[in-house]
Amino acid sequence: MENTKYTGKTEVKKVKNKRWNKYLTAGMVMTGIAVTLGIVGFFWTPYSTTAMSAAEKFAPPSLRHFFGTDNFGRDIFSRVMQGMGTSILISSLVVFFSGAAGIFLGALTGYFGGLVDEVVMRITDALNGFPSILLTLVIISLLGIGMQNVIISLGLVFVPGFVRIVRSEFIRLRDADYIKRARMMRVGNFRILFVHILPNIFSVFWVSVMIGFNNAILAESGMSYLGIGVQPPDASLGKMLSDAQGYLQTAPWYALAPGLTIVWVVLGFSLFSEGIRRKGGTQR
Amino acid sequence: MIKIEELSVAFGDTEVVKNVSLELRDGEILGVVGESGSGKSVTALTLMGLVSDAAKVTSGRILFDDVILREAGRPCDKALYRKFQGSEMSMVFQEPQTSLNPTQKVGRQVEEVLLLHTKLDRGEIRDKVLETFRAVGLQDAERVYVSYPHQLSGGMRQRAMIAMAVILHPRLIVADEPTTALDVTIQNQIVELLRKINAEQNNAMLFITHDLHLARRICHRVAVMKDGCVVETGTAEEVLDHPGEAYTKRLVEAVPSRVRGREGRTAGGRTCNPGSLTGENGKAPSEPVLQVRDLSVYYQDGGQALAEEEGREGGNRFSLKAFFRRNYRQYVVHHADFEIWPGESLGLVGESGCGKTSLSKAILGINHYIEGNIVHHSVRPQMVFQDPYSSLNPTKTIGWLLQEPLRAAGRLDKSLAMTKADREAAAYDMLRRVGLEEAYFHRKPSELSGGQRQRVSIAQALITNPGFIVADEPVSALDVTIQAQIMELILKLQGEMNLACLFISHDINVVYRMCDRIMVMKDGQILEIGETEEVFSHPKEDYTKLLLCNSQ
Repeated sequence: MENTKYTGKTEVKKVKNKRWNKYLTAGMVMTGIAVTLGIVGFFWTPYSTTAMSAAEKFAPPSLRHFFGTDNFGRDIFSRVMQGMGTSILISSLVVFFSGAAGIFLGALTGYFGGLVDEVVMRITDALNGFPSILLTLVIISLLGIGMQNVIISLGLVFVPGFVRIVRSEFIRLRDADYIKRARMMRVGNFRILFVHILPNIFSVFWVSVMIGFNNAILAESGMSYLGIGVQPPDASLGKMLSDAQGYLQTAPWYALAPGLTIVWVVLGFSLFSEGIRRKGGTQR
Repeated sequence: MIKIEELSVAFGDTEVVKNVSLELRDGEILGVVGESGSGKSVTALTLMGLVSDAAKVTSGRILFDDVILREAGRPCDKALYRKFQGSEMSMVFQEPQTSLNPTQKVGRQVEEVLLLHTKLDRGEIRDKVLETFRAVGLQDAERVYVSYPHQLSGGMRQRAMIAMAVILHPRLIVADEPTTALDVTIQNQIVELLRKINAEQNNAMLFITHDLHLARRICHRVAVMKDGCVVETGTAEEVLDHPGEAYTKRLVEAVPSRVRGREGRTAGGRTCNPGSLTGENGKAPSEPVLQVRDLSVYYQDGGQALAEEEGREGGNRFSLKAFFRRNYRQYVVHHADFEIWPGESLGLVGESGCGKTSLSKAILGINHYIEGNIVHHSVRPQMVFQDPYSSLNPTKTIGWLLQEPLRAAGRLDKSLAMTKADREAAAYDMLRRVGLEEAYFHRKPSELSGGQRQRVSIAQALITNPGFIVADEPVSALDVTIQAQIMELILKLQGEMNLACLFISHDINVVYRMCDRIMVMKDGQILEIGETEEVFSHPKEDYTKLLLCNSQ
């Protein structure tokens, strides 16, 4: 008999090890460093992020100041730590809320189709019709400046993308044989949506969450750069970049530090998501 | 003329082909038979130089006349292969759907072979292609020439593929399961065509198949492969009628055959034959589990069906008439009328598109576009699907999957609610009954083989004891030996649980083995319905006769 011989255990282990890849390792190391520094930055930084010092204006990077100091003599490393923490927090919240909304709306529209689908999809089309930065500008001008409003506006802008991805996955799976069977067993709709189908879309959904997170970091930096994001004296990577613009030639480290930090975070998350995608890709 | 000498091919550390030696002479058809994973396709692809670079030839060599095509220790000589591919050797693949480029007209794709290998001018090429199309039985050659693959039927696509393969009169044709994706009557025509080409062009043919009936019919010699090794070679009659090796014997016996009859049926645990209405065992069957009265199934979509129908005549043009005419009904099943008795297997045969699936969906209550009556006298029927890889939710454990029907039933009807311990006990019990160990309870579907998954599928359908299941081609995606085991399992469970079954299959021999009564369907009509033996020995309809004769 075929079934008595087969133990399966050793084979499975091998496959799992293979799924671990260098993208995942590199991504996890990079994001790990960024997230740790960011979280620490909320509670403790080497120097106060607001303490100015006329004597140490534009000090180049050194052991005392890893990333040098800015035009007010503030320690850039400390400010980068705090700004990174803020960026990661805002982006996480944005992705969390828009992702949750995306799952809910995508599941309903994808599985049931019909009128709800039409209405929701036309609304997301309309939202997609505007450049996202313009849309956030409009929302901010309605709600006013402030961190929670940054989260709300970015959250809204990110919903359509998640809805589309979740919806297409639900459309793909709603006619899968095992879902047909669940329907024949008369499993409730709610349970089919969130217990039977949802776990199957996670590998795809995680990747889009990671990409969304990256975009949120960039969008938040962009908004701060334009002055509609995090407000001074709180440190923010985008704001630092725009402040550093005038000193590119005299103090290049002022711009490089926040710029490279953004690259570090975004690259780390990209590698992380690629790693997860490859890991998920071998699953059946 | 073709010699494969002690060929071994490995992917990484795993050898998938081990010391295979085959010889093929001009005009000869050599069948390579074996189950999936036996290495038959890799052998063929290596011979053709089409195997991926990850595969290493670890021993042996391949000779074409005196030219060494491939040798152990040497990388694949792509330039050499390019000279041979197309002109000297060519290949026909299993899936005509994916082996033709969907964005190019069929004529152009066939032309390309000539453009690459000959110096003919445009007009000559066109004539040659049309001539070859006619030779492979594409009567409407001009139309096929300017058609895209999706505008042709599966059989026509496969003919076009064959045209592409034979247009340069290659000396070797490798056919990898060329008929597996086709309906039986089409299958038959394609086999005849290949045989005719072989006779006319006198080329050698390597015919890979898992179907022993087919191998016996078309091949001069047969090589049986298992786990990468050739276990037996010889003339087709020798090997398949008087197998020398134990494995070949097992393979041959696993194939359902009308010649060997159905003597195993009652041994499978069946004690009564309620379909005969006489009620053996002393008890008359009270009432059928399912009554279908004058049932028609139709599709009603914003004119889509009509557009398709019109498209058939005038190309796939956008049809305004169809677009505006809502509520157009296209009937796919006409006036079906039958019943299924407790414990009985009713076989439903017919080719793809005949309405089998629509009918079964209607019975299961997942298609609401119906006219007529369906009366169930059982718990809501469950279904076993064809593809074991897509019918189990990959994120759940087997235990969870088996308990889900019980949970669902409990939620609908509080009197059926069970405790967690009871559910688990029932799941373990069902697992044992379908012949799986308890250890599988915590496994996920990805850790199971196709046959094991199909067992779980059956267990999941039966755990609520529905009394009636619909099995839609439950064994046609499986290897023959596994197929035989699953068929035995279904028969055994039918006996144990007095289970009625609507058994849908395109394989007449499987139906013969499994079913008490048989129902033949064509174009949405039920042509014939009767006792299996009766229908097989005295078919009333011409179509039934055709089906029977094509699957001999």
